[in-house]
Amino acid sequence: MDKKASKSKWNLTPEGWNLEGVPAYQDEKRYTQVGRSVPRVDGPIKVKGEAIYTGDMTLPGMVYGKIKRSTYAHAIIKKIDYSKALELPGVLTVITGEEAPNKWGIVPQAANETALAVGKVRFYGEGVAAVAALDEETAEAALELIDVEYEPLPVLLDPFESMERAKEVLIHEDSPGNILHEGEQVYGDVDKAFAECEYVLEREFHTNYPQHGFLEPHSALASYDPQNGHLHLWASTQVPHYLHRQMSIVLEIPMNKIRVTLPAIGGGFGGKGEAAASEFVACLLSRKVGRPVKVTYERNEVFFTNKGRHPCHMKVKMGLDKDGYIQAIDFDNTMDKGAYSGWGIVVLFYTASMLHLPYKVPNARFRGRSVYTNKPSTGAMRGLGGVQPRWAMECLLDELAEMMGISPYELKMKNAIESGHTCINNMFVPHTEYKKCLQTAVEKSGYLEKHGKLSFGKGIGMAGGYYITGTAYTLYQNYKPHTSVMIRVDTEAGVTLFCAAADIGQGSNTVMAQMVAEEMGIHFEDVNVQAGDTEIGAFDLGSFASRLTYAAGAAIKMACVEINQKIKETAAGMLGCRADQLIIKNREIYSMYESKKRLPWEKAVEAYTSINGSLVSLGNFSPPRRKGIDLITGNRVQGANIGHSPTFGFSAQVHEVEVDVETGRIYVKKVTEAGDCGTPVNPMSVEGQVEGSIMFNLGACLYEDQKLDAEGKHLNPNFHDYKTPTTMEMPEMDTNIVESYDPTAPFGVKETGEGAVQPTFPAITNAIYDAIGVRFYNLPITPEMVLKALKEKKTTSCDCKCSKEC
Amino acid sequence: MKQLIELDINNRVYEVAVDARDLLLDVIRKKVGLTGTKKGCGEGDCGACTVLIDGKPELACIKLAIACQGKKITTIEGLIQEGGALHPIQQAFVDYGAVQCGFCTPGMILSAKGLLDRNPHPTEYDIKHELSGNICRCTGYKKIIEAVEAAAQVWSKEGVK
Amino acid sequence: MFLNHFEYFAPKAPEETLELVGRLGSKAKILAGGTDLMVVMKAKAISPEYLIDINGVEEFKGIFCEEGKGAVIGTNTKLAEIQFSEAIKAKYPALAYAAGEVGSSQVRHMASLGGNTCNASPAAETPTPLVAMGAKVAVSSLSGDRELPLEEFILGVRKLDLAEGEMLTKFILPEPAQKSACRYAYMGRRDAMEIDCVNMAVNIELANDSETVMEVKLVMGSVYPRPLVSREVPALLIGQKLSDELIEKAAEAAQGEAKPIDDIRASAEYRREIVKVLARRLLKEAYAAAKGV
Repeated sequence: MDKKASKSKWNLTPEGWNLEGVPAYQDEKRYTQVGRSVPRVDGPIKVKGEAIYTGDMTLPGMVYGKIKRSTYAHAIIKKIDYSKALELPGVLTVITGEEAPNKWGIVPQAANETALAVGKVRFYGEGVAAVAALDEETAEAALELIDVEYEPLPVLLDPFESMERAKEVLIHEDSPGNILHEGEQVYGDVDKAFAECEYVLEREFHTNYPQHGFLEPHSALASYDPQNGHLHLWASTQVPHYLHRQMSIVLEIPMNKIRVTLPAIGGGFGGKGEAAASEFVACLLSRKVGRPVKVTYERNEVFFTNKGRHPCHMKVKMGLDKDGYIQAIDFDNTMDKGAYSGWGIVVLFYTASMLHLPYKVPNARFRGRSVYTNKPSTGAMRGLGGVQPRWAMECLLDELAEMMGISPYELKMKNAIESGHTCINNMFVPHTEYKKCLQTAVEKSGYLEKHGKLSFGKGIGMAGGYYITGTAYTLYQNYKPHTSVMIRVDTEAGVTLFCAAADIGQGSNTVMAQMVAEEMGIHFEDVNVQAGDTEIGAFDLGSFASRLTYAAGAAIKMACVEINQKIKETAAGMLGCRADQLIIKNREIYSMYESKKRLPWEKAVEAYTSINGSLVSLGNFSPPRRKGIDLITGNRVQGANIGHSPTFGFSAQVHEVEVDVETGRIYVKKVTEAGDCGTPVNPMSVEGQVEGSIMFNLGACLYEDQKLDAEGKHLNPNFHDYKTPTTMEMPEMDTNIVESYDPTAPFGVKETGEGAVQPTFPAITNAIYDAIGVRFYNLPITPEMVLKALKEKKTTSCDCKCSKEC
Repeated sequence: MKQLIELDINNRVYEVAVDARDLLLDVIRKKVGLTGTKKGCGEGDCGACTVLIDGKPELACIKLAIACQGKKITTIEGLIQEGGALHPIQQAFVDYGAVQCGFCTPGMILSAKGLLDRNPHPTEYDIKHELSGNICRCTGYKKIIEAVEAAAQVWSKEGVK
Repeated sequence: MFLNHFEYFAPKAPEETLELVGRLGSKAKILAGGTDLMVVMKAKAISPEYLIDINGVEEFKGIFCEEGKGAVIGTNTKLAEIQFSEAIKAKYPALAYAAGEVGSSQVRHMASLGGNTCNASPAAETPTPLVAMGAKVAVSSLSGDRELPLEEFILGVRKLDLAEGEMLTKFILPEPAQKSACRYAYMGRRDAMEIDCVNMAVNIELANDSETVMEVKLVMGSVYPRPLVSREVPALLIGQKLSDELIEKAAEAAQGEAKPIDDIRASAEYRREIVKVLARRLLKEAYAAAKGV
């Protein structure tokens, strides 16, 4: 634990940022609140068990809702008879899909989900009816008394079969070919570029069907007030305002009569980034019975309703010139959408965007389609749209490096982008330390000394990755600010930040307090954060796409301009100097030229508010719209769908594995990571995000997969057969924050919660190759696959170039 | 048929009317009103509902409440020290960044307490082995292990009730 | 997910328990740790009318381990007690290890040795080493006790040699022979919280020369409806001094005997592969341990 004490924990600036001696007026980076590993503001209540999650709440008169779920993956609902359920004492009401047929969807153009199934079920476990009852036991018993008559339809579980049999079976009447969306993006002359390449490689990659496995199952508590028509929803969600809007659509209640409040949230990882049936059902039942209704999922319902990562079937071709520079990429992606559209179109085009970074790619072609199947829908899951193509590309680069006879590190360094890079699809990277990430991870792990040189069964692999920061797809189809915040300063409440940002466990409330304190020259403990409420806080898109620290930071900075100006003006009058000479730091206001002129910050606040009342200011943030706009003509161009990311976070990882060649078990022994997250607002939280990211995808790479039988029924909707990593699977982790500051970003920040999941799949896959000379193109990589591959390798002559005894 | 039973939770005796089938988790959360004990899976797989029964970590989601009469049950709320101070394990979890979403935290802390009560000087392997029934999806476990190691040191130095 | 309604009994003495078991018969289930029972009841796989909670019966708990006299372990002894018992660790390390690898810490503090057997799951951990060590079980009823080898007690998936009115009350472990050693191993996808795809125990006893195998018992779990005792391995190895070739042959023989199934945890083919690997490793390990090296 000594290392912890000597680490940057309580230092005012992170390691490497020592700006001692730099005059305050010259340095905007000398932070006192940002860059500190302060403990989370919600830490104490969480360790005491006092944090209140939705499922912990009770309201007067509250009753319980439960959802009746389909036992078919694809069937017409012939009849639902719930008369017997209604007769059960304690049952208040039963609803079916017909009572709320309005379609909702996180992407407005493709909205095709209903609160409960209407006329037809499209996946096993889809909700067909819901019960409200006085207690949970009765609600559950009532479900057994609901008779549903189905007419089974053919079940399509594979996207290729789904497309092939579309003439015979359509999952959605309005989606010919069973395709949600098909798209193509071509930049440059790909075929010509390939013709001129020295090294060309084409491979097919297939990813699995993992799920978030957040520990807190979905929970929603709705309270509808029949007297004034107001609906208050407490929900375990990442996206209060998305939810707000979807509720308005489905319940046909005006938005100003709906309030969404977030209690503590037990993790999301993208899985709570859409509305959930629990939320609609709680609201619908509450409106119908006129009492608060709580709906909390069982663990199997979390699996039934899924929204996890898309299985992707990718054909990837990459070409390098004789010197190893990437000349072209051809990428074909068939995504398994599951039953409903969800984030589908957005994810499809994110996978297209992911081709263009973190390497220079002059020519690229993307063809992709998102295909409906009778599986629980896929959606957003940590590193959305990036994880699958990143796996394919980083593995392909590993193979290409071998083909060229150079180190993968050399190949990646050669092609890595630098600050100020404009991609061929017009994405612009103002700042990157990606090369530093690669270099740090490689040096600290001893990759070059070990790669290709370890004994059979031991291997080391590297990979890089990146993720967007500060942007998101917006559901309103206009470019209103993505995040708005309000800051109020007075002598009563001190400093309060009002916003709708969702702290889902990642720690945004702590980080926002640090940023407000930094900008206002006070301490983070002085800042109260009122977040996650659509009535208290102004519009915020939500916690996803690694947008929040950047977006909130920018909005906070903007809000602080006016507040600081007014406080300085007041102080200037009190001190007898000019306001623009004043600096606020450490709760003191002083002149940068005459240090004797100083005054406690509260005094100026007191003086201001005694004349004017509370000081209130708004700030907001919209990402730029560069991507999707041709800079010369100003016209919209391909790839416009996902907006532009103002900056990007980067990560590089080196994984060391041991393969038990007799049992096929893979043990990840050590991970060395280096990340460019810009300024780490809270380095301890950054480490937590990175360590969490590594374990998250280590699980999906080696253990996790949702399995369905031929009828589409779940085989492992539980944590004993859906195998997330335990403490026993934890490798040694050495995570490093490389020195980085993005001058275009608020406080120089970038993301860290999703970039670090990107390299994990390929680094492990490449390490396995280094260990046993077998490349895997399917996930998860199971012991059975390893044994089978080793057997095949023995029977065919070994053509791998690894220097090992095979 | 409900019957009145006494449950000793955190050194306070609660009189509750239970059905034989009522699970300890539901009784603690709904009838006693201590919601710090969480339900993550309800099937004994995730450890979020861990409580100490006579000092040993057990899973409240698969434990009958009626079977806990006469036993000393400790939930996360029972760890608080004099004057509202945090227990060394709780303090270490805060200081070492071992808490993110917090949903696994109460169970994790109680498993750690069960371990340290039995074995005050655990190795890293001991900690991993005894905490492996508590799933955490946020932290990657590293800071949790560090926090337990740190708590063990504080504990052996300063002692705790 | 709620349990069905049932009547709950918490006897305090063995006789009282046996009286209830006799009276309530197959409509009752015995509740020891409940880590399996509660889960199957929640899933509505079974809905017993009565539960007999034996946790209040002191006589069903405890480890009685005396020098030279084997050991007796009460049916409701928690796996954690076995895992941490110095006496068991010294005399029956394979059992202590197997007990310590069941589920999680919480499960081990709840689950009992008797439950791990009586659940009669093919993937159960502790029956494998217990059978390998020649453990017997005592089955009691109001009309008296009988003892039988554990391998005869478990008949198949969720099937036991238990008549109406009978219950398992204790395990009787023989004193390990001089120059003998038993070892246990398992394979799953993770290193915790696993339902084993294969587990195995090997017990080897050597002759006075410390090299010739006098007795060997290889028991496989999760590859057959009940713990599968290899017939071919003793046939191959008894009277022999073990060599790598011989061990390989024995491992292959065990592999041939295993009759695993395909399920979500592993394919039959993989399980067979693992049988061979574990057999090879355990034979070597147990042989070395028996030789005292």
